[in-house]
Amino acid sequence: MKFRTLLGVAAILALTGVSAPAADKDAADIAVEAAKKYAGTTISIVWEAGLQSLDPLNYSGPKWEKLTGIKVKVVEVPTDQMFTKIMQDFKSGAGAYDALNVIPSWMPDLAGAGALEPLDKYVDKFGYRDELQDIAAAYRDNQMQYDGKIFGFPDDGDVMLLYYRKDIFEDPKMKEGFKAKFGYELAPPKDWKQLDDIGQFITDKMAPKVYGAGFFRTAPYPQYMFQERFRMEGGKFFNADTMKSTVNSDVGLKVFKQMLAENKFMPPGVEQWNFVDNLAAFLQGTTAMTISWPPYGRWAAGYGSGEEALKWVPKSQVAGKVGYALTPLGRPELGVGFDLSVSATSKNKEAAYLFIQWLNSKKTSLERVQLPYTLRDPFRLSHYASEKYRALWPDAPAYLDTIKTSGEKGLLDLSLLQQDKYDEAMTKAISSLWAGEDPKTILDRMAQQFDAITEKVGIENQKAVYKVWAAKPGAYPQ
Amino acid sequence: MMTFSLSFNGTEHRRPSRLGRVLEDRLPYLIVAPAILVLLLVGLFPLIYSLIVSFQRITMTDNDTSFAGLLNYAELFRDTRLWASLGHTAIITAIALPLELLIGFLMAQLFIDRMPGRQLFVALLVLPTVISPIVAGATWRLLFDVRFGPIGEILSFFAGEPIRILWTVNPAYVYPAIIICEVWQWSPFMFLLLLAALSNVDQSQLEAAEIDGASYLRVLRAIILPAIAPVIAVACLIRGLDLVRIFDIIWALTEGGPGSMTETISLYTYVQGFSQFETSYTAAISFLVIALLTLITTLVLKRMEIAR
Repeated sequence: MKFRTLLGVAAILALTGVSAPAADKDAADIAVEAAKKYAGTTISIVWEAGLQSLDPLNYSGPKWEKLTGIKVKVVEVPTDQMFTKIMQDFKSGAGAYDALNVIPSWMPDLAGAGALEPLDKYVDKFGYRDELQDIAAAYRDNQMQYDGKIFGFPDDGDVMLLYYRKDIFEDPKMKEGFKAKFGYELAPPKDWKQLDDIGQFITDKMAPKVYGAGFFRTAPYPQYMFQERFRMEGGKFFNADTMKSTVNSDVGLKVFKQMLAENKFMPPGVEQWNFVDNLAAFLQGTTAMTISWPPYGRWAAGYGSGEEALKWVPKSQVAGKVGYALTPLGRPELGVGFDLSVSATSKNKEAAYLFIQWLNSKKTSLERVQLPYTLRDPFRLSHYASEKYRALWPDAPAYLDTIKTSGEKGLLDLSLLQQDKYDEAMTKAISSLWAGEDPKTILDRMAQQFDAITEKVGIENQKAVYKVWAAKPGAYPQ
Repeated sequence: MMTFSLSFNGTEHRRPSRLGRVLEDRLPYLIVAPAILVLLLVGLFPLIYSLIVSFQRITMTDNDTSFAGLLNYAELFRDTRLWASLGHTAIITAIALPLELLIGFLMAQLFIDRMPGRQLFVALLVLPTVISPIVAGATWRLLFDVRFGPIGEILSFFAGEPIRILWTVNPAYVYPAIIICEVWQWSPFMFLLLLAALSNVDQSQLEAAEIDGASYLRVLRAIILPAIAPVIAVACLIRGLDLVRIFDIIWALTEGGPGSMTETISLYTYVQGFSQFETSYTAAISFLVIALLTLITTLVLKRMEIAR
């Protein structure tokens, strides 16, 4: 064959794509093709018990089996027991779990102990690195790596949003009255002082039918609110040189006092509210503002109300009346989140990896974040831009845009060695706050507990982990 | 080997050999040996293993399993939250146990006389004890709820103004809430035991006392209480030990809050073991509790003279 003929054939092949079939394939297809060699095997995946696990049980698990012949056994574990189960499996070396759902703030403990499989070699082998770039920076930069290696794929766009009643905020009488009283427009609050003004104003005008705001106040939720507000007011959790806790600073005191004072314009008994109490109040229209994770927005719009699994969600009385905004001061807490990881003791590591690549891929994850019942929230740039998602309800574009902006600005949860102990100290402190104990006393005790935990873990070890965490873009507002 | 014969009822029996006699003497032990072995395996082995663990440095989050000596036990004495949790346990036990005994006794007195429908009423009264404590706690949480709970409504009706008590948040009400739930669930247990005990009190003594014109209090002090004292002692011991182990009701009602105000020793042990992952330290706490309970139980048994 003459050189020119060869060149021509090559050009035709290149143009028709015959010479490079893999280039056409996205990460989901690559994972499916590669996984077919494991057909007939079973992989187990640890998943949050409850609604969340309906994703692998009803949707992704059966679909993966159909595509690859690999069965998925879903091990449902309550959230507060997931860490223990994962560590127990790792310590025993039993290898009972192949793929894992991991809360990113556990990463220092789990990756540090060696319980998670480093994923970089698989990412390169199965061409997934490009698609990872589509994951929103807040999650990609903060929740994926430990010590420079990938240990998990961010799989849930958890971030706190402010929801407010547009019909009340846009009511001419309310607008006029508010402007006359406070001298600025009634609009989603830009800071916590404005939230107080608006909340009290609405309560004064509309309670007991509608209260200005309602927040969840029982463990473990309020500690995420505290973490966000404390940092946004300028607080630091530790002195980076000594690792002495500084949560009992004036900033901490200011935030605690503000949080306590807000209860006065919220419905009676708000101190006892959990996720569902708060959801019910907002969906029934008895609170004009709340802060929570993205599913509130979908359910408030009535999306998925026909689903059997969502029968426990009160019927929304506020569909079409809900606006979405950034939380006051504009840097919302990411709040929990989930990574997909592979267990270091898995006997089917590659099959497990291929399953999580497929789950996490652009194509599959877009389907999963639209499932109304699984509590998986948009976390990719392509999710926010999806025309299909944006057409799901009239305000879906505003919802996705707010999630996108919130995600871009999101603050990362504190993540240290034995983070659960710090979380517990914060949770107990906030519980004491609602009980009426002196805020300064509570904060001093919390700081002492932080210091005791740090000393027990080892000051130098913890200092190193804190340094890495504090250098992340979402750790402290720049 | 020497053998000789014995005759009973005209039947001749050969006296067994020495080996046979030894086997015969040991037969009861041989029969129970497998059961003892199983008990040792399932009971003693975990106990010994956890004792060993309590002298190590095992936590869920690192691989250090080295010997720690008495470090964990020394830590117990510095742990203010541990001693606070023991204090909370003592408070709940000290209030709930006498209340359950008193209410159980009064109910038993009411039902001691035969009456139509007595069995049905007794069955209904005993119902709370068959409910799982976690369900009882969750039910009372709803009853106390400031928005949906009927207790607030009932109190408001009698007060003539809205009464909103945050039972599980307000420090002034959180112990009453726990005690009410606990007493509601377990007084019927006392009632059942005491009803049985009262039914067995010597009627002739009671009738004689009545003929002599003795007052009820005198009869109670001189006849009834001495007669049912062993049952009271056993009932108090069973319920006392249960109260020291109280977990479910508090978990459902307050989760140990507000703060750590109602955290009992069981809750604290659970938190240390399964939330804080301090395996060795949790084992040390468990042995402290075992030691305390052994001491208290021995003293109580000795005091009540029912150990004989």
